[in-house]
Amino acid sequence: MRITVKLIGPLIYEAGFSEKVITLPGSATAGALVARVKIDKKRPTIITRNGKAVELNDTLEDGDRVVISHIYSGG
Amino acid sequence: MNGWTGNILRVNLTAKTYKKETFSEEFARTWVGGRGFAVKILYDELKPGIDPLGPENKLVVALGPIAGIPAPNTGKAVVAAKSPLTGFYGDGNLGTRVSEQLRKAGYDAMIIEGKAEGPTMLYIEDDKVEFLPAGEVWGKGTYATNDWIYARYGKGVGVLNIGQGGENMVRYAVVRSLEGRAGGRPGIGAVMGSKLLKAIVVKGTRPIPQADPQAMKALGFGDLKTVGQTDKKTGWSIQGTTAVLAWCNEVAGLPVRNFRKTHHADAWKIDGERLNAARVATYGCPNCTMKCGITIHDREGRESELDYENVGLLGSNLEIFDLDQVGSLNYLCDEYGIDTMSAGCTLSFYADAIDHGIVAGDFKFGDAERAKELLGLAARREGKLGNLLADGSLRMAREFGHNSEAYAMQVKGLDVAAYNCKFIPGQALAFGVAAIGAHHREAWIITFELKNTTRDSYGPEKAAKVIELQRIRGGMFEFIVACRFPWIELGWPLDNYPKYFNTVTGLNWTLDDMWKVADRIYALIKLHYIREFPQASRKGDYPPAVWFDPSNADTEGPIAGKCLDMDKYDQLLQHYYDQRGYDERGIPTRVLLNKLGLSTEAAAAGKYAKLNQEFR
Repeated sequence: MRITVKLIGPLIYEAGFSEKVITLPGSATAGALVARVKIDKKRPTIITRNGKAVELNDTLEDGDRVVISHIYSGG
Repeated sequence: MNGWTGNILRVNLTAKTYKKETFSEEFARTWVGGRGFAVKILYDELKPGIDPLGPENKLVVALGPIAGIPAPNTGKAVVAAKSPLTGFYGDGNLGTRVSEQLRKAGYDAMIIEGKAEGPTMLYIEDDKVEFLPAGEVWGKGTYATNDWIYARYGKGVGVLNIGQGGENMVRYAVVRSLEGRAGGRPGIGAVMGSKLLKAIVVKGTRPIPQADPQAMKALGFGDLKTVGQTDKKTGWSIQGTTAVLAWCNEVAGLPVRNFRKTHHADAWKIDGERLNAARVATYGCPNCTMKCGITIHDREGRESELDYENVGLLGSNLEIFDLDQVGSLNYLCDEYGIDTMSAGCTLSFYADAIDHGIVAGDFKFGDAERAKELLGLAARREGKLGNLLADGSLRMAREFGHNSEAYAMQVKGLDVAAYNCKFIPGQALAFGVAAIGAHHREAWIITFELKNTTRDSYGPEKAAKVIELQRIRGGMFEFIVACRFPWIELGWPLDNYPKYFNTVTGLNWTLDDMWKVADRIYALIKLHYIREFPQASRKGDYPPAVWFDPSNADTEGPIAGKCLDMDKYDQLLQHYYDQRGYDERGIPTRVLLNKLGLSTEAAAAGKYAKLNQEFR
């Protein structure tokens, strides 16, 4: 399945990209996506899938837009 | 009294007099400093109903026990007065060397009274205070004024100054410091201007009293280094606060078109990535090792220092997606000394009112050049339009009528920070019950709300989170006086702050002791409020009405068709009151006030408004 992944803030520089489409095997989880883009799984404070928060073990679906963010308590 | 100098400097501009006053250890332990000192002093010394722009208002500059001590992000000062924007207690904090210099001069706070005969600069050096003419820079912006001051005294002094916005009493004029931006969103700069006080310059040469200076030195410098290393390791300051913009755009929380929309396809053009790529310099406050002032060249080639709030409210909220133009608007606000956030909300309200046919005008969303002209009109209070803009969005709405107040994006008169809560009920509550109006520095719970609860819930856990963060952010950080960023952005442990506090004071406080002071401060700000507005009801804690309007719901995206529910918001508000111990109007009860040691203050407030014994 194809997932669009968008990284926020410093995670962009950690992974080396800002946004791209990634192909993952079916039933992959948000955690698998984080591992795939080579971000330490402790770094994201919130991951959203199509605008809604998900956990690392939540399953993704083809066409999802996943945003991985470090934001904790805002400006 | 270790940790405090024990002195307050009182200056009277009318009489050109000053005196050093002492305060008791009990006062220090009850109010600690910063916001605590300011709220107590202004409550005791200001009569309700006074004109905030009259000589009877007082300006307080207040520091805390760790202010100016080398430790993570302690280069901050609190500025406060009765607000000309909201009509009750208002304050703000800003990075400035005044933090260290005033403490070294021997003071924990200063109170400025009266009104000068002509434009004046106060020069404070230890026990000496000079009232100097400032006519040469009256009418000039904050950058030119700062240069003029540095040319006279060098760059080591602490400076607070105002621009044309403060001079002309724009109701959202701020106090500026080139060592750390601006503070005092509720018009504290206008209060300075009303006193013809152009600038305050401070130089101190004495040590700050501390229980264990050697231990504090080792602890503070070590932690400054560690915070800096953590920042580098995590990469936080590559984008600083501006990283939030792209995230808000993704989760439908960005202000776009006067908060009518929550995201925009062009938002990427002004996001943290673009800002970092355009960076020409980075600035930070004193005692900071995670500098967040990303500076770019604006459209006119000037350096403009941006953060998220500036970009959100002068950029996406005005549908201006040229980064250098956002930089220009930000530069002008800084030069005029007006709040970028209220300026953004005021302009967006004006464009929205024109868009809805409420008033005739030539300003449209996206028109950066006209926005620049309008900022100038406001700062100079030029013509009818300039005066309207200078009074802020709420007063404009009341002038325009036609229910336009529903989309003046403010609470209690203070404009909403750059988080669009059209469908984020807990953060809407945080804005509703923020002590001085819709400020973001007190409680910010959006990550918690999206991750740990459901977005559409209005449960008591959201009220509890707001209170928890008010105690930390609007409480502790504002009265010990330090920047919250090491904690909120890098996860620097909160326990470090009582450690710093105890090392300088010799006390043995825990975080729970900090929360008690925080609750006392929040209750006293509420008493300020009801003393000025005795008929106040819970409606004063409602966020802007447009967030409850189904016709304003997004038509696409993550929250399509959603908006806040008023009945449910009211329940959430009641959860907050119940947990706080406030009555159904949102006013602290006598039982709570007594528990917080505020029975005298309650008696004073009781002359103006009814206080209930208990809630429910």
